[in-house]
This record gives sequence, C-alpha cells and structure tokens, in this order.
Amino acid sequence: MRTESNTLDALMARLADGDRAVFARVFELLWGPIHRLCITLLKNDADAADAAQEAMQKILERASDYDKSRPAMPWAMAIADWECRTLARKHVRRREVDDAGHEQSGEHAEDEFVQRNLTAAAIAALGELSEADRETLIATFWDEAASVSGATLRKRRERALDRLKKTFRRLYGLD
Amino acid sequence: MDSTDLSQLQRRVRWAYELGRLRRALLGVAPVLVIVAVAACVAHRPMSTLWFGLATVSVGAAMLWYGRDPQKAVLPGIAAGLVPLVFAMCANHMHTCGADGCSSLCVPACALGGVVAGLAVASVGNQRKAGPWFWVSASALALLTGAMGCACLGYSGVVGLGLGFGAGMVPGLLRRAFGEKST
Repeated sequence: MRTESNTLDALMARLADGDRAVFARVFELLWGPIHRLCITLLKNDADAADAAQEAMQKILERASDYDKSRPAMPWAMAIADWECRTLARKHVRRREVDDAGHEQSGEHAEDEFVQRNLTAAAIAALGELSEADRETLIATFWDEAASVSGATLRKRRERALDRLKKTFRRLYGLD
Repeated sequence: MDSTDLSQLQRRVRWAYELGRLRRALLGVAPVLVIVAVAACVAHRPMSTLWFGLATVSVGAAMLWYGRDPQKAVLPGIAAGLVPLVFAMCANHMHTCGADGCSSLCVPACALGGVVAGLAVASVGNQRKAGPWFWVSASALALLTGAMGCACLGYSGVVGLGLGFGAGMVPGLLRRAFGEKST
C-alpha cells in the first residue's frame, strides 16, 4: 500500500513535469480508488461512475499544479470528494431522492452525506496508525474496558489521539 | 465500466490534461506580453519587435506546455535575453560621432548583450547539469527575447547578437565538455 502510494507520488511528479509516458499508469493507479471512494460516498453506481469520471478529468487537468512535496492520493481524493459533494448537492437541489429510498429533507440528506464523508476520512486516517493506537481509540469510542486503566490509559489515549490528529493533518491538510 | 468506456475516458482525460497544461502555459507567458509591449513602445522598428515578440511568446508557451527540460529553460532563457534587449533599447537612444559622421551603438550593444546572455545561459546550464534540450531551449528563447531589441538596425543587430551569444556560450560549453570527460 505504502509502496503503491510512493509509486503514485513519483509518477504524479513526472506527469506534472510533462512526462506523458506515465499518463496511462497514473490513470490506472487513480481510477480504482477514486471510483471506490465515489461508490462509498454516493451509494449509487451510476452517480459514482459520473462523479469518478468528472473527478478524473479534474485531477489530471490539474496534474501540472500537483505539489510534489505532498502525497498524491489524498490530493486526488480531496478533488474526487469535492466532485461527489457537488453531485450530491445537485441531486438535493433537484429533490432527487437517493436509491435507498430515504425520504429525507434536502438539508438532512446533505448533513448525512457530510457526516459519512468525515467518517470515511477518519477511518482512513485510523488505518494509518499502529495496531496499539487503533485499539486504544476504538476501545475509547465504544467505551470498552481496555487492558490497562487509570493514568496509563489516559496517557495512551492522549498519545493515540495526537497521532491521529497528525495523520489526519498529513492526509487532508486540515484538523 | 468496461474497457472500451475506460479507454474512451482515458482519451478524454488526456485531452483535459493537455488543455490544463496549455492554459497554464498561456498564463505563464503572460508577463512576456508586457515585455513585448514595452519593447514595441520603445523600439525604433516596432514591427520587427512585435514579430520577434510574437515568436518569443509562441515558443515560450510551447515550451511551457511541453514540459520537462524546455519548460525549465523558459525563465533562464527569457531572463538572459533581457540583457541584450535592454542594452539595445538603451543603445537606440545613443550614438557616437566621429570624423566620418555618426553611427549607432546598436550592433556593439547587441553583441555585448549577447555575450552576457550566452555566459548566463551556459552558467545556469552547467550549474543544473542540464541536458541538451535545456541548452537549446534556453538559447532559443534568449536569442528571440534579445532579437526584439536588436532588430534596431535591420538584421545586422540580430547577427551581432547571435555572434555574441555564441562567443559567450563557448567557455560554458568547453567547461561542460571537459568536465564530463574528467568525471
């Protein structure tokens, strides 16, 4: 996973420099994750395909602006995420109800979409942490009894949260 | 999506990528338009200046769009070309008078500016250990930028610029050639 991400960063940097030979490989590496993200966010295959295509177009249109000091995948994901939000907002405006058949007000649906988005981002950041940090945070979230307690647990929780914040900032550039 | 749809999407995305680069390239050369406009206002032969300016803008935009070594050569090339351009613009308003009459300083200014530009391009090329495309691209842009001012006395100024530029490049090229041999 890490190697694939490094490969994408290097290829994206070459594409930003104008090396067209890597275009097809960058496309291949991006298409899968972007499409999957759109399916997760929009919960509808047709909408996800539309949003993913738009996102791919925007990502590669801006490939020359890619900042080589930052990882390429979160940057691309942020553009795809924005594209999905835009599509969802359009649907809300047109009062199109999602295929799950929820009859919610437009505002409510958008709130839920944003919440789902944030959850997906937090889960992705959590996946970057160590096993121990993950366990501590999950136990805290579900209010489960951990293997340690008292001051040790508090300290561990504090450190894990700090690392989660740093990972989130590194991946998405914000807190 | 099946493979046909994906390859169609890839073509569309590739087109978007090229358009994105073109847009960026046009934005990148926009400041050169200001230089061309100022040079055309000051020059004695504005039409020649405009033609060379148009060529500079087109070549610069093409290099920025293409990317890689030519893209990296745009800034050093134009910066080096500004030296003969400014020298020629100043020389346009000066002349020397002797027993045989007065003569313009345009050609000597262009030759001198060319030497400085050649030295500058060679120095940047050697410093960056750049490939041949960098040298060719930077030289082309430096000559075109300088030529905007050096067309002051017909094409003799441009020839002077070219000769001066070639002379200025010689030490850098020698350093590169012998430096490569010794490593």
